[in-house]
Amino acid sequence: MFEILTPLFVSLIVGGTLVGIIFGAIPGMTATMAVAVCLPLTYSLGLENGLALLLGLYVGGISGGLVPAILLGIPGTPSSITTTFDGYPMAQKGEGEKALRIGIVASLVGGLISLLVLDLFAPTLADFAIKFSYVEKFLIIFFALTVMAALSSDMLLGIFSGVLGIFVALIGTYDISDGGNGNLRLVPPGTEYWLESGFSLLPVLIGLFGFAAILEQAEIGVPKGHSSKDINVGKHSRFSFGIFKGQSINLVRSSLIGTFIGILPGVGGSAASIISYTNAKTFSKTPERFGKGEPGGIIASEAGNNGLTGGALVPLLSLGIPGDSTTALLIGAFTLQGVQVGPLFIGNNPGTWDAMIIAMLIANIAMFAMMYFAIRYFALVVTIPKHILFPVILMMCVIGAYTINYGIMFDVWTLLIFGVLGWLFTKLRLEVAPFIIGFILGPSAEVYFVKSLESFGDVTIFFTKSWIAVILWVLIIGSVAGAVLMARKNRQIAEEPV
Amino acid sequence: MGDLTRVTIDFDTSHLIFPTLIAIVLGLLGLAIVIRDRARIAAAGSYWRASWSAMDKPRFLGALALTLLYFSLMVPVGDIWPNTGMGFLLCSIPYVLATGILFMHERSLRQILPLLIVAVVGPTFVWWLFTYPLFLTLP
Repeated sequence: MFEILTPLFVSLIVGGTLVGIIFGAIPGMTATMAVAVCLPLTYSLGLENGLALLLGLYVGGISGGLVPAILLGIPGTPSSITTTFDGYPMAQKGEGEKALRIGIVASLVGGLISLLVLDLFAPTLADFAIKFSYVEKFLIIFFALTVMAALSSDMLLGIFSGVLGIFVALIGTYDISDGGNGNLRLVPPGTEYWLESGFSLLPVLIGLFGFAAILEQAEIGVPKGHSSKDINVGKHSRFSFGIFKGQSINLVRSSLIGTFIGILPGVGGSAASIISYTNAKTFSKTPERFGKGEPGGIIASEAGNNGLTGGALVPLLSLGIPGDSTTALLIGAFTLQGVQVGPLFIGNNPGTWDAMIIAMLIANIAMFAMMYFAIRYFALVVTIPKHILFPVILMMCVIGAYTINYGIMFDVWTLLIFGVLGWLFTKLRLEVAPFIIGFILGPSAEVYFVKSLESFGDVTIFFTKSWIAVILWVLIIGSVAGAVLMARKNRQIAEEPV
Repeated sequence: MGDLTRVTIDFDTSHLIFPTLIAIVLGLLGLAIVIRDRARIAAAGSYWRASWSAMDKPRFLGALALTLLYFSLMVPVGDIWPNTGMGFLLCSIPYVLATGILFMHERSLRQILPLLIVAVVGPTFVWWLFTYPLFLTLP
């Protein structure tokens, strides 16, 4: 197990975590963008080393968001939005460093608890999922899409985005290697040469998460960077672990909420931190202090969003379904190395599985060590000028898209098409995460659906195949009904006279 | 009832079954959105006009135009020196520089100089990395 611990492996994790923290700490840049931009570099590293880099970027990227959230009141990543509620008021009181360290410790605990859940839960779920036939596999994907849509800010638009992702994924040939007939569909005349295999996953991801993010920044005029004068780390307040006294329940509960949210497909870190924060406030003896610089708020938010990291890997590694947009990108790393993730992955690749667990553990420890002891330097990251960073990132996006299939220029154009599409999505209030998960799962959903009908010749098989199918239908109906009821309740609250 | 639920898949047309089903679902969802959000859709003109007027047009459209130019020129320039990655290198340096200047707020020599260094060093390093250690030919 420990033979994987080569100097290169450890350096990649530490380097990835460092770069991830920097990406997370710059508002407008996210962990997903960090993974998208660095993904092509894993091409020559091999699977374990490549994953070491990407997992470091993932953990670092999620954690780095707390720096601007606390010091500037601007979330570095969407998942640190609730960190601003109490972190920024603390920084304004001259307790910036203390708030940062509280967030860093909570991030470490959240990351470690979610890693434990991943280690215990993913192999068990994978063992169970091995027994699934095409019918159950299709229903699992259907369930994943309904959960994701149900938890979208607008269920109808969420479902539409997910189905649109499936539709776009079906462009091209019905692959013979998947049991298809090799015929083209949904390909406009004259584009057969480029779209024979459809749109490649990685240029699509890089476009939606890299290029689109920079277009959004360009649209608002690329806001000026912050100067070092804007940053008030605070010298008067000292951090001590005594702050965590009485916070252990909040810490563990928030970590588990984050982990659970991570397990649900397509639900991002912002939901994890918001739900953790709301729970912490509800169960607190002093809820009135929340929003005014309460350490418990930072603990809930950061333990929640880092809890997501291990949780989001559970459905990816046991079912082949990404838990969030960043883990969707990790599928790219597996694809690049010709490895398929799904129920057989852990059993067939025990070395890679161990490497991932070790990489996550080291990434969490490295994140803690770097941020805890060098937080004053990381605070300066927010001053890096965006007019230098963004063009370099754009160039890296191009390199990533071009090299992913060993030099296909159409992939670069795909990056541009989906970059503009990603920008349009935000304008039209469509959701990128359901679109991406639909895009990733679409081809598998087709194979499982058609093969189920070919094998059994009856549509009732989706309801009668096994007790697992029945349970999955109950979960599907439950998730949709729950979302409809919640939407109705929210509407009633909004319509009530003040 | 049994006959109603029975399905026979013709292998020759099996590639159309799922896309057709998904297209129907997509159409129905689109219709539901149009019905539900008809008021918002009817007022879309003013939304887009407001977006357009709030947009930093030089930076947004400039970034798009520079990217289109960059992508369009990379292959023809690369074809002058085939399999050397020169198309990438010679197009990336001006692209990084021009985009950086476009995104800049104060365009003084003091601001441009670090950008110029990054615009030369960044693409050159990436070109070297992919050409030599990684043996991947760029355009």
